[in-house]
Amino acid sequence: MAGSNEVNANESKMVVPLHTWVLISNFKLAYNMLRRPDGTFDRHLAEFLDRKVPANASPVNGVVSFDVVIDRTNNLLARIYRPAPPNPTTPLADIHRPPSPDPFPVIIFFHGGSFAHSSSNTAIYDSLCRRFVSLCGAVVISVDYRRSPEYRYPCAYDDGWAALKWASTEPWLHSGKDAKLRAFLCGDSSGGNIAHHVAVKAAESGIEVSGNILLNPMFGGNHRTESEKRLDGKYFVTIQDRDWYWKAYLPEGADRDHPACNPFGPNGMKLEELPFTKSLVIVAGLDLVQDWQLAYTEGLKKAGKEVKLVYREQATIGFYLLPNTDHFYEVMEEIKNFVTCHLKQPANI
Amino acid sequence: MSSSFRSDVGTDPCDSVGDDRWWMASASDRGSSRGEIDGLLQGAGYRVRSTDLRHVAIGLEQLESAMVGDQCAASSAEAVVHYNPSDLTAWVDSMLSGLAPDPNLLRHPQSTATANAWADPTRQRPSSLHRLENHQQHRNVPAVSLQSMEEEEDAAIRLVHLLVSCADSVQRGDSEMAGSLLDQARLALARVNTGFGIGKVAGYFVDALCRRLYPPPLCGGGSAANPEILYHHFYEACPYIKFAHFTANQAILEAFQGHDRVHVVDFNLMHGLQWPALIQALALRPGGPPLLRLTGIGPPSPDGRDALREVGLRLAELARSVQVRFAFRGVAATRLEHVRPWMFQVAPGEAVAVNTVLQLHRLLGDRASPEGGDAAAAEPIDTVLAWVVGLKPKIVTVVEQEADHNKPSFLDRFTEALFYYSTMFDSLEGGSHRSGGHQTQQQQTVVAAVAEAYLQREMCNVVCCEGAARVERHEPLARWRDRLGRAGLRAVHLGSNAFKQASMLLTLFSGEGYCVEEVDGCLTLGWHSRPLISASAWRADDDASPPRDHQTLLVLQDHSSSVVDGDDHLQPAA
Repeated sequence: MAGSNEVNANESKMVVPLHTWVLISNFKLAYNMLRRPDGTFDRHLAEFLDRKVPANASPVNGVVSFDVVIDRTNNLLARIYRPAPPNPTTPLADIHRPPSPDPFPVIIFFHGGSFAHSSSNTAIYDSLCRRFVSLCGAVVISVDYRRSPEYRYPCAYDDGWAALKWASTEPWLHSGKDAKLRAFLCGDSSGGNIAHHVAVKAAESGIEVSGNILLNPMFGGNHRTESEKRLDGKYFVTIQDRDWYWKAYLPEGADRDHPACNPFGPNGMKLEELPFTKSLVIVAGLDLVQDWQLAYTEGLKKAGKEVKLVYREQATIGFYLLPNTDHFYEVMEEIKNFVTCHLKQPANI
Repeated sequence: MSSSFRSDVGTDPCDSVGDDRWWMASASDRGSSRGEIDGLLQGAGYRVRSTDLRHVAIGLEQLESAMVGDQCAASSAEAVVHYNPSDLTAWVDSMLSGLAPDPNLLRHPQSTATANAWADPTRQRPSSLHRLENHQQHRNVPAVSLQSMEEEEDAAIRLVHLLVSCADSVQRGDSEMAGSLLDQARLALARVNTGFGIGKVAGYFVDALCRRLYPPPLCGGGSAANPEILYHHFYEACPYIKFAHFTANQAILEAFQGHDRVHVVDFNLMHGLQWPALIQALALRPGGPPLLRLTGIGPPSPDGRDALREVGLRLAELARSVQVRFAFRGVAATRLEHVRPWMFQVAPGEAVAVNTVLQLHRLLGDRASPEGGDAAAAEPIDTVLAWVVGLKPKIVTVVEQEADHNKPSFLDRFTEALFYYSTMFDSLEGGSHRSGGHQTQQQQTVVAAVAEAYLQREMCNVVCCEGAARVERHEPLARWRDRLGRAGLRAVHLGSNAFKQASMLLTLFSGEGYCVEEVDGCLTLGWHSRPLISASAWRADDDASPPRDHQTLLVLQDHSSSVVDGDDHLQPAA
């Protein structure tokens, strides 16, 4: 491994623009410093290094944001992003009015970070959520879910579910003649994994979800897939770090065939009978867990669930964090089309 | 579809591929040209000059090589203190000097392979499209915490709307409309739970607006309660002041390293709550404690007591018990701008620390324009900062409320205050279940109630008072940075060690919901992601600009201020 570092660096440099390389390498190195071999995490240093931005109720590029407490008992926060209210003199009064008389999407967003890193006020995710608002005319709810290793499975899923339930009880988030919540569950990396599991819970509980958007979702399993072996360490991610994060998230003693990690694996749940929503799954061709993501997509298809796969061959993890490649813009278009399309259709047919 | 462009949006247009000369050129560019801050990475929270990007990239590569053989990157990283992570260039450089054992590893192009430009196989996007926001244009507006019940939420929103409209009427001078809105607000209050959340703070704001519209015969906007008692309860009920103290003490301790005669000037002594911890830390420092002098500034005691001296005596007692040579002097003044540096009698060779916790904003005046240009005339702040710089302090610790309560527009101030204090009050409720542990539930309730009175007084001053009476002129960290920089102070970055300490203490002693954040070398403490208080450190010892015009021998004509010499010299311990 040691001797091949030069090669590794060169490979990722060939496919990634300089800015992306700097950003993702910085994260990689910083994150290496935070994971301890004994499974503990240097949370204080993580929070110190994490670049955060405050909410801003003054419009910036037509988007405002504010933080709300969704659940007082465990201090569950979410940052809400929405199009700026039309009346500039009384923005505060209008911040809780629906942004539009017509149906509008509510994107419940779960940031990435392999269950351990980042928050809803992390700068890169703040930027992404703002972009979703402009892209889809959506209200975006970015959930500040509890992270591992301090909070393991199922805390993140519980928090995601709490957010969906909360959104379903907020009248200003309902739209259309039938006054419904048009919720899209969306997430990258661990956030994608959370979106799937919250969607399952929703399907079991009768809460409608208009669609799932999974960006490089984090899945895995005990078996070492071909893509994991081929791409190990080549594009910012290693099998070793993936293992660490799963170990930190899954219950003590569980292995990676736990259904949280491997939803269509040996311990997976059957979705055939459930009114599970439609999915858009975006896979980066240089992401080492792509075989698991592709298996997930197959699993959905086999269970008779509608899924669209977008496979970006030369994309690495984190391509959606900087607007400097075709991958970024084309995937944003896909997301926009998916949301627009499923906004009009009745959900869960 | 995609052509092979070499650079992506925001990089130096002089990029070229695999060209060592280019690499060399950019290395020297780094020194001479100032270069623009890269917009793409700025959106991610990092400030890197476009011209430094490649340097940073190469540094990151080298860092990775240096860490590869390191089985335990985490533990070696823990020994390192990190500063100002937004400045990626400096962070990478400091990590490299900390980790790379071979100095030849630094700053050398390994081979043409690693010095290759980063290929961008995608279409270049015009930078005008989808440009990331410039975060520096953001104004901080804090969190709004809401009840979860639907009806109550509507009522709360309506109440906020009424209050803001009322403030707007006040600003326009339409007292009739303001009065009517105030009545409506009172009615709306009845429908909202005033026990907690926005209902509670709204009640105080209704009162404040009322007081402003119909000022009572006695001015001042405050209760008769002893401000020190209010402060003490606020100190107990929530971690803001404690955070201020231990962050400042950490910076002071570090600045005093290697000095055996040190002098702390405290702009507001109160009960001296900050100092026992510093005295004890100095007692334990390797190499032994220095001679510590403390000069405490505070208002003159009304009843013939010498409150400053009493505090000094208690601190002296503590210092004696831990064998720290200690001397105290009290300087009584009704206003900070009446104080002069000669009153401290700083001795040559002393390392000076100036400590100001929630004091500097009192020296500000009205802002000249909405955009924030400062008044042309010298304000008291300028005079005071000038003599602070003149003391050539090793460290100046500044703690201030993180809010903009000094905007020229009353409506703006009102709205800011509404959300700032609503978050503050929220934290009092939300965090109170963990404070101390030695108090009963009832005691905690009392402490919290008096702490609220402290905040209410502060808030009232922001809303009801104008001119010289308005002393709570809070300004955000960004403005303080500018001001202190212009006065000749240089920033001292608070590092990850201070951050960790603050974080850990919060976890131990306060409820969840508080958050410490690092912003450009300063630390902020907030509630639910809204920063409420900031701590920063500065220095002016080495190449500080010479003191301007400050009159060291001013004769005091104002009776309300006098110098009380509270000297209490102790013999050094045998």
